[in-house]
Amino acid sequence: PQHPQQLQQLQQLHVPPALAEEPGGYGRLRSCETPMQERRPEGLQVSSGLQDLSLRDRGGRRRDFHDLGVNTRQAMVHVQESKTGISGKIIKLTTNHFRLTSRPQWALYQYHVGYSPEMEARRLRSALLFQHEETIGKTHAFDGSILFLPKKLENKVTELFSRTRNGEDVKITVTLTNELPPTSPTCLQFYNIIFRRLLKMLNLQQIGRNYYNPSDPVSIPNHRLMVWLGFTSSILQYEENIMLCADVSHKVLRGETVLDTMHSLHSQVGEERFRDTCAKELIGLIVLTKYNNRTYRIDDIDWDNNPKSTFRKSDGTEMSFVEYYKKQYNIEISDWMQPVLISQMKRKRGNIQGSVALIPELCSLTGLTDKMRNDFNMMKDLAIHTRLPPEQRQRELGRLLNYIQKDDNVQKELRNWGLSFDYKSVSFTGRVVQGEKIFQSGTMFDYNPQFADWTKETRGVPLIRSVPMDSWLLIYTRRNYDVANTLLQSLFKVTPSMGIRMNRPNMIEVDDRTEAYLRVLQQRVTPDINIVFCILSSSRKDKYDAIKKYLCTDCPIPSQCVLARTLSKPQTIMTVATKIALQMNCKMGGELWSVEIPLKQVMIVGIDCYHDTISGKQSIAGFVASLNQTVTRWFSRCVVQSRGQELVDGIKACLQTALRNWSKWNKCLPSRIFVYRDGVGDGQLNTLVNYEVPQFLDCLKSIGTDYSPRLTVIVVKKRVGARFFAEIGGGLKNPPPGTVVDTVVTRPEWYDFFIVSQTVKNGCVAPTHYNVVYDTSQLKPDHVQRLTYKLCHMYYNWSGIIRVPAPCQYAHKLAFLVGQSIHREPNLMLSDRLYYL
Amino acid sequence: MDKSLQEEFTQIVKFEPPLYKQRYQFVKDLVEKYKPKKVADLGCADCSLLWMLKFCSCIEVLAGLDICANVMKEKMHTLSPLPVDYLQPSERSLTVTLHHGSVAHKDPCMLGFDLVTCIELIEHLEESELEKFPEVVFGFMAPSIVVISTPNSEFNSLLPRVMLYRHPDHKFEWSQAQFQSWALETARCYDYSVEFTGVGHPPTGMEKVGFCTQIGVFIRKNPRTGESVQSEKPMEAVYKTVFKAVYPSLKDEKYLQNAVINEVIFTAQIIKHRLMSKREEYDDDPERKSKFQPSMDCFSDYLGKLVVEKNMEPFVSGNEVYIPLTTIFSFPKVNRLCGTFEKLCKLIAGKVTLSSDGSAVVFNIEHED
Repeated sequence: PQHPQQLQQLQQLHVPPALAEEPGGYGRLRSCETPMQERRPEGLQVSSGLQDLSLRDRGGRRRDFHDLGVNTRQAMVHVQESKTGISGKIIKLTTNHFRLTSRPQWALYQYHVGYSPEMEARRLRSALLFQHEETIGKTHAFDGSILFLPKKLENKVTELFSRTRNGEDVKITVTLTNELPPTSPTCLQFYNIIFRRLLKMLNLQQIGRNYYNPSDPVSIPNHRLMVWLGFTSSILQYEENIMLCADVSHKVLRGETVLDTMHSLHSQVGEERFRDTCAKELIGLIVLTKYNNRTYRIDDIDWDNNPKSTFRKSDGTEMSFVEYYKKQYNIEISDWMQPVLISQMKRKRGNIQGSVALIPELCSLTGLTDKMRNDFNMMKDLAIHTRLPPEQRQRELGRLLNYIQKDDNVQKELRNWGLSFDYKSVSFTGRVVQGEKIFQSGTMFDYNPQFADWTKETRGVPLIRSVPMDSWLLIYTRRNYDVANTLLQSLFKVTPSMGIRMNRPNMIEVDDRTEAYLRVLQQRVTPDINIVFCILSSSRKDKYDAIKKYLCTDCPIPSQCVLARTLSKPQTIMTVATKIALQMNCKMGGELWSVEIPLKQVMIVGIDCYHDTISGKQSIAGFVASLNQTVTRWFSRCVVQSRGQELVDGIKACLQTALRNWSKWNKCLPSRIFVYRDGVGDGQLNTLVNYEVPQFLDCLKSIGTDYSPRLTVIVVKKRVGARFFAEIGGGLKNPPPGTVVDTVVTRPEWYDFFIVSQTVKNGCVAPTHYNVVYDTSQLKPDHVQRLTYKLCHMYYNWSGIIRVPAPCQYAHKLAFLVGQSIHREPNLMLSDRLYYL
Repeated sequence: MDKSLQEEFTQIVKFEPPLYKQRYQFVKDLVEKYKPKKVADLGCADCSLLWMLKFCSCIEVLAGLDICANVMKEKMHTLSPLPVDYLQPSERSLTVTLHHGSVAHKDPCMLGFDLVTCIELIEHLEESELEKFPEVVFGFMAPSIVVISTPNSEFNSLLPRVMLYRHPDHKFEWSQAQFQSWALETARCYDYSVEFTGVGHPPTGMEKVGFCTQIGVFIRKNPRTGESVQSEKPMEAVYKTVFKAVYPSLKDEKYLQNAVINEVIFTAQIIKHRLMSKREEYDDDPERKSKFQPSMDCFSDYLGKLVVEKNMEPFVSGNEVYIPLTTIFSFPKVNRLCGTFEKLCKLIAGKVTLSSDGSAVVFNIEHED
């Protein structure tokens, strides 16, 4: 029935998207790409994939975005009773969570609906069923075979009789299969769908996963940007209540088409580098189209085709893009020479084409490119609008809830399902744990805990371990001769007080070409060199990459690259030189400061991943493990894996070598191991728990039968929706560093907690979520929390507290360097130094 | 009404494209021909036709009416503006409204339309409703053009699975003669002319059964007698508005101003960038010079060659760059948006930093890297 416009095999090219987008369209492409609830705002439909209790988010491929059903706490006896800590000062907090309330004895009733004779078309099935609205009621959700109702039908089995338009009588059997309590995973997913339906009813526009208000945009003409204010929402079972976690979200949109961008790139780089630059700048970006409400990721640019190219339609006829868009949407494509963008369809089902073609002129860009992110001025201008301080953020949220509360249709929908929300956010108490003391060369430092920074306090103090710079190279171009000298003088001024012995370097002048740098490195770098210092005149990535690649793989020597611009300001040169001296010292294996680590014989591991979004071919896992008692030295390795390979096999090998190294340094094996695992995506927790953790255990077992250390695996998540605000003096402020939250907004099935460890200058501080998925340490939650917080003090590129434990940040740095510049595993000679800082 | 079902039993006689599409295409062609500004679809059901029509650039007002609110609501969100409509507001204005109500009732919101379409509508009307229908559509709404389509019962013999009517909700299905006599009588009564056509050709040899769907196109003979006619009519609203979307348009000062400011600042940035790179060319970097010089030409190609007079030259003074508004106005995009120089000045007043005499956009370059 109904013009099944499947996209069929194309002759030369890909299909233009959204043939199936027409209302009433039944295109398979769309029906499998987007969840049903979108297509039917009225009688919500649930995809047939519901049998396994999963509804998809729009555009999301993951089945279980909230990691529901991963119940790790039950296996950890010591936190069965309580997973909350007690140490620290009590602090009053509010959050962005809102309680969901439903009428007493609320339940969702799930029915199976059968047809006799069998009816194929889902639309027909719905139409036949809804002829009986007086029986089943106006409020329903139906996906063609499973029906959800807020009420219980009189009988367990209800038989209904309908007649099709061609006079055929059909018996419909509605059988109650399930009574779902409010906390069941299906119900939770259901709440989420309903809430999203509400946002749609409020006329918010869906872009990607979230909803945005298009009517009141902020425009930033300087950069041709537009910012839409919107909301993220998720409804989950938290410690005691089901709550809505809502947050303000900003969508950056660009007031230009992809074609506009291509033109301006052309004008910037010229013909020669045009295609490469387009690929670099555009691939991976998300675009919106002029004619439908979908987002696509640009996966490739097809330069061999243009809007005049043809594709084969479902009826076998050929049509050009120009004709197609004219006929379908009355859109005239003006530039017939532009290339065609290719977007891969992530989900495949049936005979759906793997990719769609998009016309640059009809696509608008969303989000920021890496280049824009690096544009300091642009980010500053953006931050004014996107970094909302606590009070303003809560005010914006309040506005959303106000809309919800005031909209009659929304209220009606909620009432029909028997649901409502608390419009006041949840308040509770957290704890601010004691600040950590910083030790450096036998001296203990106190610092202002509000600032979470000890740069001033430790300036000019000898380092724990300084590595002398007896023999080193300083490479620069002719233009930067003066800069090089200024730097050198400054280094000579700042290093003595740190206890760094430094000789004059070998000063080498080079031409400003990549080959020139490489030639010098090949000729002049010898194994006795401590470090190579390169002053670069531009942030051209290829030069940097080439230098790093050579000095990390072929010829393993620590290196330091600095932009000439960074060194050119006389007023900041001393600060810069100090930072560079510290950084170089770490790269050569030095140690800066430490915090007190009360646990003995402990090895701390950090893991993070980098996914190459541009070529999409490689993933890199950075693996970092502590080597000494004070946790000031680290063993670093990484795993480079191509697509399809399992990351975990490589990690297992890393853990083995890390243990070997630890025992070399300490003359025994660690009795406790803590793994901080970052880079776990939403919905991947299950895999981690069921696959990765057993591999860790396997690895430990393989060391020896009598070796059974205590293992703790903690999943670290930086991107969380939760925000906390301290109620101070009648206003809302960011909570101070060291704020720990382990009640109310945590999940009952997990041993999890939040820590706010860093400070922010503007906007809201984002707490980091820690989920202890495996723990045989027998330590109290207090101690795990404290250890985690301590580790946030140990990142040597920042003399302050950071968002995640240092090993995670080191692992991130390493994976990033390898993924961005080196593309293969660096030489293991460097593995005992932080050469990637 | 659900088209899918109707098509289902046209097993023997198969239409390509499907019949419902042919009906929509017929309306679309009509819109292309007459370029109506205000179009109403009576019995708009799931809004498919309205959705197609929203892409027709001549239409500024689109309205839908249906007796069933739920079926309209099902897909009404497809009639909302898209994000891109906000990002690049179009020249034309467009308002889409959906009303819940009956074609047997008069409501002032249906006045003033150029084209009213009733696609597969009348056969669903009860006798009493059908009686009132001509007075409401032709007498009260009185648009310039009315299109009515309905099944041709003579064709049913070729559709073997059809028992009585093509759809259980059909109250009647007319032969060609029945439809034509009703239409001619209606046209006569309300001073319209009518022409008959249809979609869904009969198979060869069976031509005399006529089109599967018969269509009457009614055109009002006398031009509208003016607003006076409307004001005499009862002005009580009986329909319920279930949906309304106002598309962003440059006709709306708010969007125009935004677009102009964006374009002005962006253009000024380009000119500034160009000016600064020219100054940097005196630098000693050979790589830079060779890379940047040719690219400037491509760049002006894109924006349209500029006629730069002497007094329009941008210049640097101290820490500030001055870009004359006249230069900016000479860029085609800005020019097209504003129309006149006065309008440009008016729109950006107070929104863009200008020189003291208001003749140039000023940028401070002190803090730039």
